Amino acid sequence: MIEQDADVVVVGGGPAGLAAAVSAKQHGANRVIVLDRNQWLGGILPQCIHDGFGVEEFGISMTGPEYAERYIEMAQSQRILCFAETMVLRFNKALEIIAVNKKGMYKLKTKAMILATGCREKTRWQSMIPGSRPSGIYTAGVAQGLINLYNIMPGKKIVILGSGDVGLIIARRLKFEGAHVMGVVELLPYASGLPRNIVQCLDDFDIPLYLNHTVTSIAGKERLEKVTIQQVDDTMAPIPATEMQIACDTLLLSLGLIPENELAKTTGVEIDDYTGGPIVDERLETTIPGVFACGNCLQVYDTVDMLSFDAKKTGKHAAEHSFKKQSIKQDRKKGLTVHAGDGVRYVVPQRIFTCGTVHFTLRADTPRGISILRLTVGKKELLKKKLLGVNPVSMIRIDAHIPTEILTNNKQVEVTISDT
Amino acid sequence: MIPEKEITCIVCPIGCKIIIGKQGERLVVLNGNKCKKGIEYARNEVFDPRRMLTSSIRVKGGEWPLVSVKSTNPIPKDKIFTVLEEVQNTTIKAPVKSHQIIIKNVANTGIDIITTKTVHSLKKQGNFL
Amino acid sequence: MGILCQMKNFQVAIIGGGVIGSALAWELSHYKINVVVFEMGSDVASATSKANSGVIHSGINSPPSSLKARFCVQGNRMFQLLATELGFPLKWIGKYVIAKNEDEIKELERLKKIGDLNNVAGLEIHDGLLVKRKEPNISCIAGLWVPTAGIVAPYEYTIALAENAVENDVRFLLETKVFYLKKKPSHFVLGTNNGEFLADVVVNAAGLNCREIVSMIETPDFQIYPCRGEYLVLDKTYSSLVQSMVYPVPIKDLGVLGVHITPTIDGNILLGPSAEFIDDFSDTSTTKEMMNLLLQEAREIIPAIPKNAVINAYAGIRCKLASQKTGGWADYRIEESKHIPGLIHLLGIESPGLTAAPAIAKELTQMISQWIDLKKKTHVRTQAVRRRGFSEMSPDEQSALIQRDERWGRIVCRCEQVTEAEVIDALSNPLKAQTFSSVKYRCRAGMGRCQGGFCTQHIVRIMEQQLHMDARQLKLKSPNSHLFTGQVREETQ
Repeated sequence: MIEQDADVVVVGGGPAGLAAAVSAKQHGANRVIVLDRNQWLGGILPQCIHDGFGVEEFGISMTGPEYAERYIEMAQSQRILCFAETMVLRFNKALEIIAVNKKGMYKLKTKAMILATGCREKTRWQSMIPGSRPSGIYTAGVAQGLINLYNIMPGKKIVILGSGDVGLIIARRLKFEGAHVMGVVELLPYASGLPRNIVQCLDDFDIPLYLNHTVTSIAGKERLEKVTIQQVDDTMAPIPATEMQIACDTLLLSLGLIPENELAKTTGVEIDDYTGGPIVDERLETTIPGVFACGNCLQVYDTVDMLSFDAKKTGKHAAEHSFKKQSIKQDRKKGLTVHAGDGVRYVVPQRIFTCGTVHFTLRADTPRGISILRLTVGKKELLKKKLLGVNPVSMIRIDAHIPTEILTNNKQVEVTISDT
Repeated sequence: MIPEKEITCIVCPIGCKIIIGKQGERLVVLNGNKCKKGIEYARNEVFDPRRMLTSSIRVKGGEWPLVSVKSTNPIPKDKIFTVLEEVQNTTIKAPVKSHQIIIKNVANTGIDIITTKTVHSLKKQGNFL
Repeated sequence: MGILCQMKNFQVAIIGGGVIGSALAWELSHYKINVVVFEMGSDVASATSKANSGVIHSGINSPPSSLKARFCVQGNRMFQLLATELGFPLKWIGKYVIAKNEDEIKELERLKKIGDLNNVAGLEIHDGLLVKRKEPNISCIAGLWVPTAGIVAPYEYTIALAENAVENDVRFLLETKVFYLKKKPSHFVLGTNNGEFLADVVVNAAGLNCREIVSMIETPDFQIYPCRGEYLVLDKTYSSLVQSMVYPVPIKDLGVLGVHITPTIDGNILLGPSAEFIDDFSDTSTTKEMMNLLLQEAREIIPAIPKNAVINAYAGIRCKLASQKTGGWADYRIEESKHIPGLIHLLGIESPGLTAAPAIAKELTQMISQWIDLKKKTHVRTQAVRRRGFSEMSPDEQSALIQRDERWGRIVCRCEQVTEAEVIDALSNPLKAQTFSSVKYRCRAGMGRCQGGFCTQHIVRIMEQQLHMDARQLKLKSPNSHLFTGQVREETQ
């Protein structure tokens, strides 16, 4: 066992982990180590060869690899130790991390830890799509990696289930590389990807978009031969006699992301069932002291720019934690819980222990036009803001001031979105 | 009577729905855009539609078989597949640095194809440990 | 695929590389005879033998004096020794058949009687409180405790049998389908897609294809009634919900058991099987109604199972000899052909087939001995040490392995903690099975909750390297289940 000490260990070297690590160093942390299970740093970005990254943050539209390289260079210039091809097996509440790579087993003892483990994709079985189990079925991210990193073409006649950005981007990529994209199938009455991607990926190539549809059967003896798609009603139930068969050899599933927190769960980090990520306070610290979280494992972000912005805060807090003489003994009994009320799917952070300005990120649970966002504690309104339109696919970000007297009264902050 | 058409701006993630019309031969942006870039986009989309192109180029002897590339500027829509053909028929040798020009003036568009990633030669693996 | 098999003449030809064919092959590998196994799939256990519950049954479910009961109880007693000798994992977790009302308690008593008649040891009826103590998530008024019920990974077991048989000179020809079977005066001729072979004795262990094989040489006197069983696989996170198998009281009229909750040897939970008579014996599709029903019924037994617990689903087909109309129960038919000496047919081998396999193999060996003089080998190559995974080792063992070979330090399947070394080892199997699934079933890579989200790229990369194949040639699980259609940028000459 190779034993090493660190001040901050970041699990995951994607954009969140790198941004957090760089920020931790910039805020004074001494020995910062980043661990990533891939042979490369940058997480999912090296396979995202399309542009659209960094518009908000850098003012230019970059491709994924370019965005990743910026942060990798920052990490290198900050002398952050990066271990690639390294898998964290487990960690305990004393912040001893067991990791493994081709050089051996490591036990890293650290003062602060940042979880930046990203997401995994939803599979066919989260939706229990019936039919046979032939070859030719992939999640969109896996297909994207095979195409862009490994020079492997998954198929020739493609159906894509899910109109999120991942699905749209890969539709275009496949079209560019000579495949027939038979259509994109979407359960909802609207496409869930960005409007610009509908234009650039579907409209430009006349790729059919089947809204209010889903795949109800998969057929193929050995390799995929066809899928059956069907219209759904407003309860998402398939409407009888609307079946349509599409001959194809590949089905790509773009069904959504699940924050990857198995490591955290095993150690006892409390998870929010609605975000899928750890419950954190305003310092992005989880329910285990010294363990912080950022990036897609905390909540699924819309853009990498927002993700990096928030990850830098996590890095700062982790750094501060690492050089406190004693561990911060926050009076965790005196604090507020933040509750996602009517109209709100989830809110981060879910706990508040310090008064002052808190930055909230949240999502509406349904699309609405002009709405009112409120933060209330009992009868007292902390914040009331008019929003011009809300949608579950667009993250809402607001700052609110938490006064001291509210904190000491140990109440609950209710976050709601309503029409009036 | 000014005939109207709605187009979705693709410059940034917001995706404003811009309503355009023609007054005689002139294009008029009626409303919908949140910024000036939208007006420029709308104009281009009607008279000279272009798209940024991202793709890959085959690398020999590298730690990866492909290097991701992009066009330095948006390419005329009707030339995209011609440009792609040239990109697909190009092979280069590792090592390759990011932002290296691989194809100058691709398909006579005046636009270059550059890499967006670094690909080291196969010997040099595991840069990080 | 060019299979270079120089030998064409064998003493015994086994048609079918499922658990029965593999168990017989293993049994025969202890004797000085030449044996060949023809398997049309790309690996052993490619059909029903891998798509079942993996349960080693006790014998309480089969009528006393039936072959099913006899072979089940006999087989059950052989399993511990087999597991130790062949090195596959086996756990005697026991089973509870639970009753929710008085009528069902009568059923428990009936099952216990059958068990007693079948000489099943240790059967006890426990009251609801005792069951609750052992299984906190199970509510019932009584449960029949069956301590001699165990679990294995059915594919691991079959692979262990087959691979050890290969080590002892049995030939397994994968992706080899028998198209004709002829009887000559002194031998049989078998025509396959890999050439013609001769054999003195032929054993039809073709499972769902058994009738097709019979028809090649004589008139079948039976029909097959395929009965599909669907399963759901639950995330390992929920493995602590049950310790032993939990079955509701069997539904009488179908001759099959109801929805079971079965912990797997690897820590998942299986829900199922369903039971649906279908027309096409190769249709292993899963259906929306059955998948929903399985989850619903399981949650009625264990409400703590959340709706999003499912990580995989599959189906297997039972090779039934009795129709739904007649009640769906028929005994095994393990018999010599009535007209053709030297030919043995195995018909209708459904549950408890996995359990019965070693006992059936012994019986078949007896039958074969009447035609061939079976001399025992003095020396047999045994399975050295059970192939253990990285995830099962201590940190010291893990460190030591990585020092010896750095590929033990590269984890390629995050969910199941499987290393590159294990994937390479899986691909070097003596059967020469070379598909993605053959890796999966040997080292568990790809069987976790992300279902290949992380490991697919690695397994593919390793397959390309180890098998010297390019992407276009790689298969998922069967001869024509290619994973990819080519490269994005093809190699121009």
